[in-house]
Amino acid sequence: MKPSSSFDVLVIGSGPAGQKAAIQGAKAGKRVGLVEQNREVGGACVYQGTIPSKTLRESALQMVRFLQATDVFEFRMRDDVKITSLMTRLHHVVRAHGEFMKEQLTRNGITPLHGRAKFRSDHEVDIHHVDGTCTTASAPLIIIAAGSRPRIPDHVAIDHEHILDSDSILSLVYLPKSLTVLGGGVIASEYASMFALLGVQVTMIDSADRPLKFLDQELTDQFSLAFEQTGGRYRGLQKIQHVQWDGYSHVTTTLDNGETVNSEKMLVALGRVANIEYLNISAAGLEPTSRGLIAVNDHCQTSVPHIYAVGDVIGPPSLASCSMEQGRRAVCHALGLDPGVAPEHIPMGIYTIPEMSSVGLSEQDAIGKFGSALVGRAKFYEIARGQISGMTNGLLKMVADPDGKELLGVHIVGEGATELIHIGQMGLLHHIQVDRFIENIFNFPTLAEAYRVAALDIAKQRSRR
Amino acid sequence: MSISSPPSLVEAELAELRPFLQKELEAGTLDLPLLPVVAHQVLLVSGDPNADSSKLSTLIQQDQALAAQILRIANSPAYAPRSPIVSLQQAIAWLGFNMLAGLAFSVSVQSGVFKISGHQQEIQGLWRQALATGLYGKEIARRIRHNVENAFLCGILHLIGKPGALHLLSRAPSPTGSSHSWTALEILLDEFHIPVGTVLGKTWKLPESVQETIQFYQDDQYHHAISPAKGTVITCLAHHLASLSLQTSPMNEDAIRHLPVVRELNFYPEDMTALLELQESIRKNVECFVI
Repeated sequence: MKPSSSFDVLVIGSGPAGQKAAIQGAKAGKRVGLVEQNREVGGACVYQGTIPSKTLRESALQMVRFLQATDVFEFRMRDDVKITSLMTRLHHVVRAHGEFMKEQLTRNGITPLHGRAKFRSDHEVDIHHVDGTCTTASAPLIIIAAGSRPRIPDHVAIDHEHILDSDSILSLVYLPKSLTVLGGGVIASEYASMFALLGVQVTMIDSADRPLKFLDQELTDQFSLAFEQTGGRYRGLQKIQHVQWDGYSHVTTTLDNGETVNSEKMLVALGRVANIEYLNISAAGLEPTSRGLIAVNDHCQTSVPHIYAVGDVIGPPSLASCSMEQGRRAVCHALGLDPGVAPEHIPMGIYTIPEMSSVGLSEQDAIGKFGSALVGRAKFYEIARGQISGMTNGLLKMVADPDGKELLGVHIVGEGATELIHIGQMGLLHHIQVDRFIENIFNFPTLAEAYRVAALDIAKQRSRR
Repeated sequence: MSISSPPSLVEAELAELRPFLQKELEAGTLDLPLLPVVAHQVLLVSGDPNADSSKLSTLIQQDQALAAQILRIANSPAYAPRSPIVSLQQAIAWLGFNMLAGLAFSVSVQSGVFKISGHQQEIQGLWRQALATGLYGKEIARRIRHNVENAFLCGILHLIGKPGALHLLSRAPSPTGSSHSWTALEILLDEFHIPVGTVLGKTWKLPESVQETIQFYQDDQYHHAISPAKGTVITCLAHHLASLSLQTSPMNEDAIRHLPVVRELNFYPEDMTALLELQESIRKNVECFVI
């Protein structure tokens, strides 16, 4: 008979969603078991996703700023310092973050269970350990937070040597001369802009007419402009017919129109798939959706009431920030605790170069909802701090109702966008009127002043009516 | 073929040779083989982001023996050319830049460093082990999404201290005038290949991750490695799998599955099954590379 253990709450997966679910359970005084298939806790977010890509981005930016300063301060950088230094820093940051998370779980008395989880029934989970043994854990409440992995399209043979995915791209030991990026979503755009900044000749190929189609077009136009300025090229409205390593020196991408694009390496970033195959969810009475996800209600509760699913396994928005909150709220709901007011306005941060961030309604959404909208714009080159810091390539767009009074959304492109957005988020949450941004005093010089400038732009349009 | 010596004779040889090696190491002035010029240049070209295939082919063309070996390998069943490969350019086109660079490097190291008079069969065994480790390293790296090229290089060079030590021992005085027994030499190579390899790695200015692998690839040492490339831990498991594949391992499949390094790499039984299934193809590939 297999050894078994029982818990009050069993969480499968230790990424942002699973971690917060486990901590919430422990804070409520419950005995929590946390199953993780990797040796380290933190999930893809820490080891292959959010943390490494953002660290690499930050390091690339610092390095480029440093290179730009070499003339001013009359020093030279070693030629071979590039990618290995960036990767070493990345390794340090990832390790430190992983350690911090591990400590946090230990501090909260959460029992780590290292292995691959497989449902035996709706209350029992077999844990297949790395040494080949198997134990069983049971709980009256189970949270599935198994995360996701890069999608491998049928027509592209990813070998992790020439044709890479968003996991293996992080193991590069030298910068390729050229890189083709398949995809136009968040991961594709983030890596494309990062490598372009580092001097790699980057070509993005996607079926959409512009990258990040779901974002406000003015933002993506700014991004595309900056991308092209660093030598990047976006090939929209394209379908891939064939991708092949030519066995020589290039990955050759053949498009539907017969055109070919050659590059030294390729990054395939065509979305992610939920990690649910191994879970055997049918044994728990669950079935995956047609998109391979787990269906849940507003409380992240599945069709089996005591099983919840959170994070990437339930699909968009697949943001680490959102997943954490889903994990916390799911456990609160299950335990009958008050989770607080449901977040109405979740900001989206995209760590491209330049950054983009968005909260609330877009201009198009506002027009759809109210018939029209007033939009105020502040360009970073008009802001003193933008000029001082050399961050002139940015835009803050404020969307208001047709009367130009109520704030409906904020969209920002430019360095610092993912931080700056939170002012707009607070404004939306507290139903701040547009004029309050004019009446209040912001630190000077700061990029936050852009809110005032955009609000003034709305006021000006209002007065013309 | 080497004939094993009686234990008392082996002990006598060890007593004579061990102090010689220790003295050479302590003196810090090892007369080690140079990294073959071609291998060194190939290493530079393959690590140069501005290098292209023409530089590599020029380099290979300068060494006729190397060019001939490349042609032989490109025509071998493992690489299954669609039509016979008759020119170097065609071989480059078929094998690819990175493959060719790895091949050129390994062939030149093999002929330059792993070529010491006497004990040819045993030395070729060492080379097979290094090569199989490199090839297995690539497969492990793919599985954990780590750098494949670095894993190959670490694997192929992790035992470089053995031919290095053998080179030193070939100059050791022999009171009887006869050549040393392989039994005694093998014991000494096991004992000294890491310190000798460490010196070689530094002298040859090999990449840091390779130097680290040479020093720490063994089971009780890999935890000392700090390189994010994970070449050391990858090579540790690759070494065991390579030995199994070449039937030189004292361990069976089950023992390898339970090694701590398997847990270190977080390989589940199904991951190990997939790797173990590659034994035959790795073996075939190795035979293609051996001169």
